[in-house]
Amino acid sequence: MAVPTPLEKRAQRKARNNTAMDMNLVALIDVFTILIFFLLSSASGVETLVSPKAVHLPLANSNQPPKDTVVLVVAGDEILAAGRRVALVSEAMAGSDDLIPGLKAELDLLAARPVVRAENRNKIESDGHAVTIMADKDIPYQLLRKVMATCAKAGFSDVSFAVRQRLDA
Amino acid sequence: MRPRRLRKEVPHLEITAFINLIVVLVPFLLSTAVFTRLAVMDLQLPAQQSAVEQIKVDNLQLEVVIRKDALEVGDRIGGLIQRIERSGTEHDVKALQQLMVMVKGKFPDKREATLLAEPDTSYDQLVQVMDAVRGTVTAQGPKLVRAELFPNISVGDAPLLKDVKDVKDVKGGNDGKAGKTLKAAAATPAKGNS
Repeated sequence: MAVPTPLEKRAQRKARNNTAMDMNLVALIDVFTILIFFLLSSASGVETLVSPKAVHLPLANSNQPPKDTVVLVVAGDEILAAGRRVALVSEAMAGSDDLIPGLKAELDLLAARPVVRAENRNKIESDGHAVTIMADKDIPYQLLRKVMATCAKAGFSDVSFAVRQRLDA
Repeated sequence: MRPRRLRKEVPHLEITAFINLIVVLVPFLLSTAVFTRLAVMDLQLPAQQSAVEQIKVDNLQLEVVIRKDALEVGDRIGGLIQRIERSGTEHDVKALQQLMVMVKGKFPDKREATLLAEPDTSYDQLVQVMDAVRGTVTAQGPKLVRAELFPNISVGDAPLLKDVKDVKDVKGGNDGKAGKTLKAAAATPAKGNS
Protein backbone atom coordinates (compact mmCIF):
# COMPACT_ATOMS: atom_id res chain seq x y z
CA MET A 1 0.00 0.00 0.00
CA ALA A 2 1.44 3.23 -1.11
CA VAL A 3 1.78 6.10 1.22
CA PRO A 4 -0.53 8.82 0.03
CA THR A 5 1.09 11.91 -1.23
CA PRO A 6 0.26 15.15 0.61
CA LEU A 7 -2.04 16.12 -2.19
CA GLU A 8 -4.05 12.93 -1.90
CA LYS A 9 -4.18 13.33 1.86
CA ARG A 10 -5.66 16.73 1.42
CA ALA A 11 -8.30 15.42 -0.95
CA GLN A 12 -9.28 12.69 1.47
CA ARG A 13 -9.51 15.12 4.37
CA LYS A 14 -11.66 17.37 2.36
CA ALA A 15 -14.03 14.58 1.42
CA ARG A 16 -14.27 13.44 5.02
CA ASN A 17 -15.02 16.86 6.39
CA ASN A 18 -17.55 17.73 3.74
CA THR A 19 -20.39 18.15 6.17
CA ALA A 20 -21.96 21.27 4.69
CA MET A 21 -25.26 21.91 6.36
CA ASP A 22 -28.01 20.58 4.18
CA MET A 23 -31.04 22.66 5.02
CA ASN A 24 -34.37 21.42 3.87
CA LEU A 25 -35.82 24.49 2.26
CA VAL A 26 -38.30 22.85 -0.06
CA ALA A 27 -41.38 23.63 2.04
CA LEU A 28 -40.28 27.22 2.57
CA ILE A 29 -39.79 27.75 -1.12
CA ASP A 30 -43.17 26.19 -1.86
CA VAL A 31 -44.89 28.58 0.50
CA PHE A 32 -43.04 31.60 -0.81
CA THR A 33 -43.72 30.72 -4.40
CA ILE A 34 -47.44 30.35 -3.79
CA LEU A 35 -47.48 33.61 -1.84
CA ILE A 36 -45.72 35.42 -4.64
CA PHE A 37 -48.19 34.27 -7.25
CA PHE A 38 -51.12 35.16 -5.01
CA LEU A 39 -49.77 38.62 -4.26
CA LEU A 40 -48.82 39.30 -7.84
CA SER A 41 -52.29 38.41 -9.04
CA SER A 42 -54.03 40.43 -6.34
CA ALA A 43 -51.88 43.49 -7.02
CA SER A 44 -53.88 44.49 -10.03
CA GLY A 45 -52.62 47.49 -11.84
CA VAL A 46 -52.08 50.84 -10.27
CA GLU A 47 -54.12 51.88 -7.30
CA THR A 48 -55.34 55.37 -7.96
CA LEU A 49 -56.79 55.87 -4.52
CA VAL A 50 -54.85 55.23 -1.39
CA SER A 51 -57.08 54.90 1.59
CA PRO A 52 -55.73 56.63 4.64
CA LYS A 53 -55.92 54.60 7.82
CA ALA A 54 -57.76 57.34 9.70
CA VAL A 55 -60.71 57.45 7.32
CA HIS A 56 -63.38 54.82 7.74
CA LEU A 57 -65.10 54.73 4.40
CA PRO A 58 -68.64 53.41 4.15
CA LEU A 59 -69.33 50.08 2.50
CA ALA A 60 -71.21 49.91 -0.76
CA ASN A 61 -71.89 47.60 -3.67
CA SER A 62 -70.56 49.93 -6.31
CA ASN A 63 -67.91 48.48 -8.60
CA GLN A 64 -66.91 51.58 -10.49
CA PRO A 65 -63.14 51.88 -10.43
CA PRO A 66 -61.81 55.11 -8.96
CA LYS A 67 -60.71 57.77 -11.38
CA ASP A 68 -57.58 59.83 -11.21
CA THR A 69 -59.01 63.03 -9.82
CA VAL A 70 -58.45 65.55 -7.10
CA VAL A 71 -59.09 63.78 -3.81
CA LEU A 72 -60.77 65.51 -0.90
CA VAL A 73 -60.37 63.78 2.42
CA VAL A 74 -62.67 64.63 5.28
CA ALA A 75 -61.43 62.85 8.37
CA GLY A 76 -61.30 63.60 12.04
CA ASP A 77 -60.97 67.32 12.29
CA GLU A 78 -59.28 68.06 9.00
CA ILE A 79 -60.26 68.62 5.40
CA LEU A 80 -57.48 67.74 3.00
CA ALA A 81 -57.48 68.71 -0.64
CA ALA A 82 -54.93 66.87 -2.78
CA GLY A 83 -52.96 66.03 0.33
CA ARG A 84 -52.83 69.51 1.84
CA ARG A 85 -54.77 70.56 4.88
CA VAL A 86 -57.01 73.38 3.78
CA ALA A 87 -59.62 73.70 6.50
CA LEU A 88 -60.67 72.41 9.87
CA VAL A 89 -63.93 70.55 10.27
CA SER A 90 -64.82 72.49 13.42
CA GLU A 91 -64.38 75.79 11.57
CA ALA A 92 -66.38 74.57 8.61
CA MET A 93 -69.20 73.39 10.85
CA ALA A 94 -69.19 76.67 12.78
CA GLY A 95 -69.54 78.78 9.66
CA SER A 96 -73.14 79.64 8.92
CA ASP A 97 -72.35 79.95 5.24
CA ASP A 98 -72.28 76.94 2.91
CA LEU A 99 -68.86 77.94 1.62
CA ILE A 100 -65.62 76.72 3.23
CA PRO A 101 -63.16 79.51 2.37
CA GLY A 102 -59.91 77.55 2.69
CA LEU A 103 -61.22 74.70 0.60
CA LYS A 104 -62.58 77.07 -2.02
CA ALA A 105 -59.21 78.81 -2.37
CA GLU A 106 -57.36 75.52 -2.76
CA LEU A 107 -59.88 74.16 -5.27
CA ASP A 108 -59.63 77.35 -7.29
CA LEU A 109 -55.88 76.86 -7.41
CA LEU A 110 -56.28 73.25 -8.50
CA ALA A 111 -58.82 74.21 -11.13
CA ALA A 112 -56.43 76.76 -12.56
CA ARG A 113 -53.82 74.12 -13.33
CA PRO A 114 -53.28 73.87 -17.05
CA VAL A 115 -54.89 70.88 -18.74
CA VAL A 116 -52.60 69.19 -21.19
CA ARG A 117 -54.76 66.69 -23.00
CA ALA A 118 -57.44 68.00 -25.27
CA GLU A 119 -59.95 65.28 -24.42
CA ASN A 120 -59.64 66.13 -20.74
CA ARG A 121 -60.23 69.77 -21.56
CA ASN A 122 -63.40 68.96 -23.44
CA LYS A 123 -64.61 66.85 -20.56
CA ILE A 124 -64.00 69.64 -18.09
CA GLU A 125 -65.89 72.07 -20.27
CA SER A 126 -68.89 69.79 -20.44
CA ASP A 127 -69.01 68.30 -16.92
CA GLY A 128 -66.79 70.50 -14.80
CA HIS A 129 -63.73 69.34 -12.93
CA ALA A 130 -63.83 65.96 -11.26
CA VAL A 131 -63.31 65.42 -7.58
CA THR A 132 -63.43 62.36 -5.35
CA ILE A 133 -64.60 62.81 -1.80
CA MET A 134 -63.28 60.39 0.77
CA ALA A 135 -65.24 61.10 3.86
CA ASP A 136 -65.47 59.31 7.15
CA LYS A 137 -68.72 57.43 7.46
CA ASP A 138 -69.67 59.25 10.64
CA ILE A 139 -69.64 62.79 9.33
CA PRO A 140 -73.05 64.47 9.24
CA TYR A 141 -74.76 65.40 6.01
CA GLN A 142 -74.50 69.04 7.03
CA LEU A 143 -70.73 68.95 6.63
CA LEU A 144 -70.89 66.92 3.44
CA ARG A 145 -73.30 69.44 2.03
CA LYS A 146 -70.91 72.29 2.75
CA VAL A 147 -68.05 70.43 1.12
CA MET A 148 -70.16 69.65 -1.95
CA ALA A 149 -71.46 73.20 -2.19
CA THR A 150 -67.90 74.49 -2.07
CA CYS A 151 -66.90 72.04 -4.80
CA ALA A 152 -69.78 73.17 -6.97
CA LYS A 153 -68.87 76.82 -6.44
CA ALA A 154 -65.29 76.14 -7.46
CA GLY A 155 -66.42 74.42 -10.65
CA PHE A 156 -65.86 70.85 -9.47
CA SER A 157 -69.26 69.52 -10.34
CA ASP A 158 -68.28 65.95 -11.21
CA VAL A 159 -68.33 64.56 -7.68
CA SER A 160 -67.83 60.97 -6.70
CA PHE A 161 -67.82 59.39 -3.27
CA ALA A 162 -65.14 56.90 -2.43
CA VAL A 163 -66.45 53.76 -0.79
CA ARG A 164 -65.12 50.41 0.26
CA GLN A 165 -66.35 47.74 -2.06
CA ARG A 166 -68.55 45.15 -0.42
CA LEU A 167 -67.31 41.76 -1.48
CA ASP A 168 -69.73 39.41 0.23
CA ALA A 169 -72.94 40.96 -1.14
CA MET B 1 -2.24 0.49 -6.20
CA ARG B 2 -5.81 0.88 -5.21
CA PRO B 3 -8.08 1.56 -8.16
CA ARG B 4 -8.84 5.23 -8.23
CA ARG B 5 -12.49 5.70 -7.61
CA LEU B 6 -14.29 8.86 -8.41
CA ARG B 7 -16.07 10.03 -5.33
CA LYS B 8 -19.60 11.04 -6.39
CA GLU B 9 -20.70 14.31 -4.92
CA VAL B 10 -24.30 14.61 -3.84
CA PRO B 11 -25.90 17.05 -6.29
CA HIS B 12 -27.13 20.26 -4.74
CA LEU B 13 -29.42 22.87 -6.20
CA GLU B 14 -27.97 26.28 -5.98
CA ILE B 15 -31.06 28.17 -4.87
CA THR B 16 -29.56 30.90 -2.73
CA ALA B 17 -30.15 33.59 -5.29
CA PHE B 18 -33.73 32.45 -5.78
CA ILE B 19 -34.42 32.55 -2.05
CA ASN B 20 -32.89 35.99 -1.80
CA LEU B 21 -35.21 37.21 -4.52
CA ILE B 22 -38.27 35.71 -2.87
CA VAL B 23 -37.38 37.00 0.56
CA VAL B 24 -37.16 40.51 -0.84
CA LEU B 25 -40.27 40.23 -3.04
CA VAL B 26 -42.64 38.77 -0.45
CA PRO B 27 -42.42 41.59 2.11
CA PHE B 28 -42.55 44.15 -0.67
CA LEU B 29 -45.70 42.70 -2.20
CA LEU B 30 -47.27 42.15 1.20
CA SER B 31 -46.73 45.78 2.09
CA THR B 32 -48.28 47.04 -1.13
CA ALA B 33 -51.14 44.55 -1.21
CA VAL B 34 -54.57 46.06 -0.83
CA PHE B 35 -57.06 43.96 1.01
CA THR B 36 -59.90 46.45 0.71
CA ARG B 37 -60.84 47.30 -2.81
CA LEU B 38 -61.98 50.86 -3.24
CA ALA B 39 -64.68 52.01 -5.58
CA VAL B 40 -66.47 55.24 -6.28
CA MET B 41 -70.07 56.32 -6.65
CA ASP B 42 -70.90 59.07 -9.03
CA LEU B 43 -73.10 61.87 -7.98
CA GLN B 44 -74.94 64.52 -9.91
CA LEU B 45 -74.62 67.98 -8.55
CA PRO B 46 -77.37 70.31 -9.59
CA ALA B 47 -76.11 72.74 -12.18
CA GLN B 48 -75.43 76.27 -11.02
CA GLN B 49 -78.18 77.76 -13.09
CA SER B 50 -80.77 75.11 -13.74
CA ALA B 51 -83.33 75.76 -16.39
CA VAL B 52 -86.96 75.89 -15.47
CA GLU B 53 -88.26 72.38 -15.50
CA GLN B 54 -91.36 71.51 -17.37
CA ILE B 55 -93.68 69.47 -15.24
CA LYS B 56 -94.91 66.62 -17.34
CA VAL B 57 -97.70 64.26 -16.63
CA ASP B 58 -96.61 60.71 -15.94
CA ASN B 59 -93.07 61.82 -15.33
CA LEU B 60 -91.77 60.33 -12.15
CA GLN B 61 -89.42 62.41 -10.09
CA LEU B 62 -88.39 59.95 -7.50
CA GLU B 63 -87.41 61.30 -4.13
CA VAL B 64 -86.15 59.41 -1.12
CA VAL B 65 -86.19 61.41 2.08
CA ILE B 66 -83.97 60.12 4.85
CA ARG B 67 -85.60 60.96 8.15
CA LYS B 68 -84.40 60.08 11.59
CA ASP B 69 -87.12 57.46 12.06
CA ALA B 70 -88.04 56.42 8.54
CA LEU B 71 -87.31 56.51 4.86
CA GLU B 72 -89.95 58.29 2.83
CA VAL B 73 -90.15 57.35 -0.81
CA GLY B 74 -92.19 59.68 -2.92
CA ASP B 75 -92.72 61.40 -6.21
CA ARG B 76 -92.17 65.14 -6.26
CA ILE B 77 -95.50 65.68 -7.95
CA GLY B 78 -97.50 62.63 -6.95
CA GLY B 79 -96.64 62.68 -3.28
CA LEU B 80 -95.62 59.97 -0.89
CA ILE B 81 -95.42 56.46 -2.29
CA GLN B 82 -94.37 54.60 0.81
CA ARG B 83 -92.92 55.25 4.21
CA ILE B 84 -90.47 52.66 5.44
CA GLU B 85 -90.21 52.79 9.20
CA ARG B 86 -86.83 52.37 10.73
CA SER B 87 -86.30 49.05 12.45
CA GLY B 88 -83.54 48.82 15.00
CA THR B 89 -80.43 50.90 14.62
CA GLU B 90 -80.35 51.12 10.84
CA HIS B 91 -82.75 52.07 8.13
CA ASP B 92 -84.47 49.23 6.36
CA VAL B 93 -82.41 49.36 3.20
CA LYS B 94 -83.61 45.96 2.05
CA ALA B 95 -87.24 47.07 2.01
CA LEU B 96 -86.22 50.23 0.21
CA GLN B 97 -84.49 48.19 -2.43
CA GLN B 98 -87.54 45.99 -2.96
CA LEU B 99 -89.67 49.09 -3.36
CA MET B 100 -87.15 50.54 -5.81
CA VAL B 101 -87.29 47.36 -7.88
CA MET B 102 -91.07 47.71 -7.97
CA VAL B 103 -90.89 51.36 -9.01
CA LYS B 104 -88.30 50.53 -11.65
CA GLY B 105 -90.70 47.94 -13.03
CA LYS B 106 -93.28 50.65 -13.54
CA PHE B 107 -90.88 53.20 -14.97
CA PRO B 108 -88.19 51.20 -16.75
CA ASP B 109 -86.68 54.17 -18.57
CA LYS B 110 -86.21 56.31 -15.51
CA ARG B 111 -82.65 56.64 -14.27
CA GLU B 112 -82.80 59.65 -12.00
CA ALA B 113 -83.53 59.81 -8.31
CA THR B 114 -83.06 62.42 -5.64
CA LEU B 115 -81.94 61.76 -2.11
CA LEU B 116 -82.98 64.28 0.48
CA ALA B 117 -81.13 64.15 3.77
CA GLU B 118 -81.51 65.91 7.07
CA PRO B 119 -78.54 67.88 8.41
CA ASP B 120 -77.63 65.26 11.00
CA THR B 121 -77.99 62.25 8.71
CA SER B 122 -74.69 60.45 8.77
CA TYR B 123 -72.69 59.97 5.63
CA ASP B 124 -72.87 56.23 6.13
CA GLN B 125 -76.66 56.24 6.08
CA LEU B 126 -76.63 58.41 2.99
CA VAL B 127 -74.31 56.04 1.19
CA GLN B 128 -76.30 52.97 2.24
CA VAL B 129 -79.51 54.47 0.89
CA MET B 130 -77.72 55.64 -2.23
CA ASP B 131 -76.39 52.16 -2.74
CA ALA B 132 -79.86 50.67 -2.48
CA VAL B 133 -81.30 53.16 -4.95
CA ARG B 134 -78.50 52.80 -7.48
CA GLY B 135 -78.89 49.13 -8.19
CA THR B 136 -79.20 45.63 -6.89
CA VAL B 137 -76.60 42.95 -6.55
CA THR B 138 -77.80 39.42 -6.30
CA ALA B 139 -75.71 36.31 -6.05
CA GLN B 140 -76.53 33.68 -8.61
CA GLY B 141 -74.36 30.78 -7.83
CA PRO B 142 -70.78 31.90 -7.76
CA LYS B 143 -71.21 35.15 -9.63
CA LEU B 144 -72.81 38.41 -8.70
CA VAL B 145 -75.47 39.78 -10.97
CA ARG B 146 -75.83 43.53 -10.96
CA ALA B 147 -79.04 45.22 -12.01
CA GLU B 148 -79.32 48.92 -12.48
CA LEU B 149 -82.14 50.82 -10.80
CA PHE B 150 -81.69 54.58 -10.58
CA PRO B 151 -77.99 55.30 -10.95
CA ASN B 152 -78.20 59.04 -11.57
CA ILE B 153 -78.59 60.30 -8.06
CA SER B 154 -78.61 63.84 -6.85
CA VAL B 155 -78.54 64.85 -3.24
CA GLY B 156 -80.45 67.63 -1.55
CA ASP B 157 -81.85 68.87 1.73
CA ALA B 158 -84.90 67.25 3.22
CA PRO B 159 -87.91 69.51 3.60
CA LEU B 160 -88.64 70.45 7.17
CA LEU B 161 -91.22 68.42 9.00
CA LYS B 162 -94.41 70.03 10.11
CA ASP B 163 -95.68 67.38 12.51
CA VAL B 164 -95.96 68.52 16.11
CA LYS B 165 -93.95 65.59 17.39
CA ASP B 166 -91.09 66.26 15.02
CA VAL B 167 -91.09 69.98 15.63
CA LYS B 168 -90.48 69.19 19.29
CA ASP B 169 -87.55 67.04 18.22
CA VAL B 170 -86.06 69.78 16.14
CA LYS B 171 -86.37 72.26 18.99
CA GLY B 172 -84.63 69.91 21.35
CA GLY B 173 -81.75 69.33 19.00
CA ASN B 174 -81.23 72.92 18.06
CA ASP B 175 -79.35 74.23 21.05
CA GLY B 176 -76.80 75.93 18.85
CA LYS B 177 -79.32 78.10 17.16
CA ALA B 178 -80.90 79.16 20.45
CA GLY B 179 -77.45 80.18 21.67
CA LYS B 180 -76.92 82.27 18.60
CA THR B 181 -80.19 84.11 19.07
CA LEU B 182 -79.26 84.82 22.66
CA LYS B 183 -75.89 86.16 21.63
CA ALA B 184 -77.49 88.42 19.07
CA ALA B 185 -79.89 89.71 21.70
CA ALA B 186 -76.99 90.46 24.02
CA ALA B 187 -75.15 92.30 21.31
CA THR B 188 -77.99 94.64 20.50
CA PRO B 189 -78.15 96.57 23.78
CA ALA B 190 -74.38 96.97 23.79
CA LYS B 191 -74.66 98.64 20.44
CA GLY B 192 -77.37 100.92 21.82
CA ASN B 193 -75.13 102.04 24.70
CA SER B 194 -72.22 103.05 22.52
